[in-house]
Amino acid sequence: MKKIIGTAFILAGMMMSAHTAEACGKVSIADMNWSSATLIANVDMFILKNGYGCDAELIPGDTMPTGTSMVEKGKPDIAPEFWSNSFGAALQKAVAEKRLRIAGDSLSDGGEEGFWVPEYMVKADPSLATLEGIKKNVKLFKHPEDPSVSAFMTCPAGWGCQINNANLYRALKLKEAGFELLDPGSAAGLSGAIAKAYERKEAWFGYYWAPTPVLGKYKMVKVDFGSGIDEAHFKACITKADCADPKPTMYPPSPVNTMTTEAFATKEPEVFKYLGKRSYKNAQMNGLLAWMEENQADGDVVMEYFLKNNEATWTPWVPADVAAKVKAALAKL
Amino acid sequence: MSDASWLTDFPQMDRADLLTIRKTLDGAYREFSRSYGDLIESVFDPLLVFLVWFEKFLLASPWWAIIIALSALAFSATRSWKLCIGVVISFSLIGYFGMWDNTMRTMSIILVCTFLSIALGIPIGIAMARSNRVQSFVTPILDVMQTMPAFVYLIPVVMLLGIGKVPGVIAVIIYAIPPVIRLTNLGIRLVDEDVLEAATAYGANASQRLWGVQLPLAMPTIMAGINQTIMMALAMVVIASMIGVKGLGQPVLKSITNQYFTLGLLNGLAIVALAIIFDRVSQAYAVRSQRHLKGGHNA
Repeated sequence: MKKIIGTAFILAGMMMSAHTAEACGKVSIADMNWSSATLIANVDMFILKNGYGCDAELIPGDTMPTGTSMVEKGKPDIAPEFWSNSFGAALQKAVAEKRLRIAGDSLSDGGEEGFWVPEYMVKADPSLATLEGIKKNVKLFKHPEDPSVSAFMTCPAGWGCQINNANLYRALKLKEAGFELLDPGSAAGLSGAIAKAYERKEAWFGYYWAPTPVLGKYKMVKVDFGSGIDEAHFKACITKADCADPKPTMYPPSPVNTMTTEAFATKEPEVFKYLGKRSYKNAQMNGLLAWMEENQADGDVVMEYFLKNNEATWTPWVPADVAAKVKAALAKL
Repeated sequence: MSDASWLTDFPQMDRADLLTIRKTLDGAYREFSRSYGDLIESVFDPLLVFLVWFEKFLLASPWWAIIIALSALAFSATRSWKLCIGVVISFSLIGYFGMWDNTMRTMSIILVCTFLSIALGIPIGIAMARSNRVQSFVTPILDVMQTMPAFVYLIPVVMLLGIGKVPGVIAVIIYAIPPVIRLTNLGIRLVDEDVLEAATAYGANASQRLWGVQLPLAMPTIMAGINQTIMMALAMVVIASMIGVKGLGQPVLKSITNQYFTLGLLNGLAIVALAIIFDRVSQAYAVRSQRHLKGGHNA
């Protein structure tokens, strides 16, 4: 008798797992190696797991390797925060070839790129918020290895923005002003350099982007080129390595998308619909990043914090029954 | 859930306490870097000036002069025409494929790192060989230096000294110095007791024993250590370029992010070529300088 009951339980268990597998199945979510992407990935995983019954797992990633793997191998299924410009032409090709599908915007305002100076410098001399002022005070921004020139810190080697910055460097005549391009080597090198300058209240002038924990923690001012945004020229020339005649333009807002593989989008229309609705405002993201930084929180901790404190934000992303399931799971945490 | 779970889950430190520790230590480090950063930076200034000068010197020297100097060096160390021709060919190829400037940058930083590693490592190795207490103290430190992931200490160093050559040199030395220390220690410890006793019997004092007996007899082992140090320094080139050190590492990083396999391979091969030349020259030099010790039959 016991045996039969046991078997029945096992069978029931198998049926249940078979049922959930049918509902959604295995889903892999790219957990990019920066804070906002980790937050979004963890929230997605929790909602997919508890709301849609998916067997969701996180896979560590980064824009280039994850994007390439999604295009070539169809894995992972979801890239929750994908800075499309950094993937460049390869993305349009993959979408056209029906390998990837863009679900929606992860950050509805888009990413904010630009050239920045620390806020304390602008407070001391308000003219430093404009490019004219920076060119006039070129001597402030000493190159660490060659005091006779000044340094503009650009993007790490190989990033798409390195090309943009090199073109803007020409367009804005920074070379003539006495600036040299300084390559920080890696994202960690770039943020380390900002932290060093900020802690010692030194001069710093370079490229960065938001929303990021670095700009949440260290207040910086975006330098105004006085040119406005010329998006057509930016796309047609500034982003190209062989741009013959670059003209000054500010960075247009950079699309930050939620991306899935085409196979996943057709197989899981319900989840895809959620991913399409799910998007964060920059102001909210900055607040969350600041909270993360302050508490040195990992993805799962900030996920819990976000879901518990921002119900009004995330409940509209999902149908009511899913929201109820997620809330129930949340109560058990 | 957390009541009875200590049997299955490890009784973990409270998250809040751990957080306090993490925040306190981070805050303390920030405070330290704020108050002593400039001082420490000025300590390293002479090194930076030298590094910048040496790199500019190598970059400004005409390419043929460098090839001639390197092959002359190779020949004087090895007396082998084959290696000499190898140097000329590999450097010509490096130049032809447009990697000359980056190779010079990498060479300048690696030469400085190797020199500093030897200058610091051999005395530490000698101290270790002379005292068991020093040995038991230094060995675990060397283990940490060789295994700790570089970025764990690199980013704090960047906060202290900024990006660029000096943190790069520090990172390379931390990773590359252990072999020369370990093998100096080992080489001296392996010198035969009887030989030392004989030297003492002839009235040699401690420093005469060290310079006249122990170091010469340990030289093959020490050279093996130096060799490993050079190899490991070159292997760190890419990591160093992640904190803004110019050289062959940067194109490698660039090709990794953009999947330019050929570019990556070419620059990787240039690093390999440097490594092989350094290796053969230093090894041949060690063999030649030891030849008189082995007697005629080995020559």
